[in-house]
Amino acid sequence: MTLYLIKILIFPGLLFLFILSLIGEYYDRKLYARMQNRVGPPWFQPVADFIKLLGKELIIPLNADARIFKILPVFACVATIVAYLYIPLFSKTSLLPFNGDIIFVLYMLTLPTLSYALAGWYSRSPYALIGSTRVLTQLFAYEVPLFMAVLAPAILASSWSFSELITFYQTHNWLWLVNILGFIVAMITLQGKLEKVPFDIPEAETEIVAGVFTEYTGPLYAYFRLAMNMQTIAGASLVAAVFLPFGFGSCLIVNFVIYILKIAFILFLLALMRTLFARLRIDQMLVFCWKYLAPIALAQITLNIIIKAWL
Amino acid sequence: MKIVDRIVNWARLKSPWVIHFNTGACNACDIEIVASITPTYDLERFGSLLKGTPRHADVLLCSGPVTRQLKDRLVRIYEQMPEPKFVVAVGTCACSGGVFNGCYSMLSGIDEAIPVSMYIPGCPASPDAIIDGVVKLLKEYEKSLKDKK
Ligand code: SF4
Repeated sequence: MTLYLIKILIFPGLLFLFILSLIGEYYDRKLYARMQNRVGPPWFQPVADFIKLLGKELIIPLNADARIFKILPVFACVATIVAYLYIPLFSKTSLLPFNGDIIFVLYMLTLPTLSYALAGWYSRSPYALIGSTRVLTQLFAYEVPLFMAVLAPAILASSWSFSELITFYQTHNWLWLVNILGFIVAMITLQGKLEKVPFDIPEAETEIVAGVFTEYTGPLYAYFRLAMNMQTIAGASLVAAVFLPFGFGSCLIVNFVIYILKIAFILFLLALMRTLFARLRIDQMLVFCWKYLAPIALAQITLNIIIKAWL
Repeated sequence: MKIVDRIVNWARLKSPWVIHFNTGACNACDIEIVASITPTYDLERFGSLLKGTPRHADVLLCSGPVTRQLKDRLVRIYEQMPEPKFVVAVGTCACSGGVFNGCYSMLSGIDEAIPVSMYIPGCPASPDAIIDGVVKLLKEYEKSLKDKK
């Protein structure tokens, strides 16, 4: 029982995720800066930002619903942490494995997005309102290709659970390489889920101030930022577990290093995308997701079904 | 409690997020402010980010001598910023009215509307001067904290 609690609260649970998310933010910002030929922020920057926001005054708008306004940031954090506990990181099973946990994690990772939308709605500010409608519109664009892309490897392994999926790919060496199309789709849609350029339409600074977070100050905004960072790590871990299912050998330390390398690689790709592209319009995003990404994901599923007939 | 205060103050010094507001400048100062956040000057070295909303910002960069039309809005934006907050007047106009001094539709300087923590002269103030000003503001803040103790 105590061991379980330690695992959930410290390693590889809450505290580990917290530290990793701060490191992830620094890594992302530094890479972004270096790709623009800048020096970039110092290493303690995410910590300083977080503490500073915690120490600032908290303003709640008069017509906002105070209770929900305060609960939503925490809710977003908790949903992400719960999702993270169910993803296998460097051992074959996660902390709390059960059959169907892939679908569970996907749904858990949708909850922060919904809480952003609700946060915009309950702020009662026009900018936040536009932001929240954009969050929801975008959700309908990327969610379907992401689900299809993640489910394709699971179809090949004919299992909805992470541990069985990993075991399957371990017995069939190099078979995970056929999921490369799905991996690309998942990376692009993950960028949409994390609301970063080119899909930062919901918080487009130049158009709608700060989107759904317009009215959030101080500690509450800090929690939203934290949720965003943790979502980045959780999303990257999900993609790593499903599309790069290797490095789950017997030596835990080697596995851990491989896990960190995988996350670093995925964050690198995300930062690269952020640097290369400019923001799309919401209608362009919808068309892109439904016209190109969804058929590619569908092609991946078809391919996997054909391969499965062969095996 | 003291250690907590110290850490929070350290964090405040290391992450000054700015918001930019044009209070009736001729636009040259605004271009210089925008230039100072481009990759060439790289304000992020000091942990600075440009924010779109006053709710997230710590430093309000104002340029221009506050037109009478804008005064109420400027005060409102200032009041929307959470404490602790600082105002930096960028450009000669923002400091003292500059070429617009005495104009019937203008106040002469930001400090007639809201309290200012730092003045950066120049017509227009160059990006180097703006960055220097913000860094000096942080140093002053650090010193004032020390004096308080
Ligand atoms: S100080 Fe000079 S450049 Fe700046 S707003 Fe005034 S007139 Fe324009």
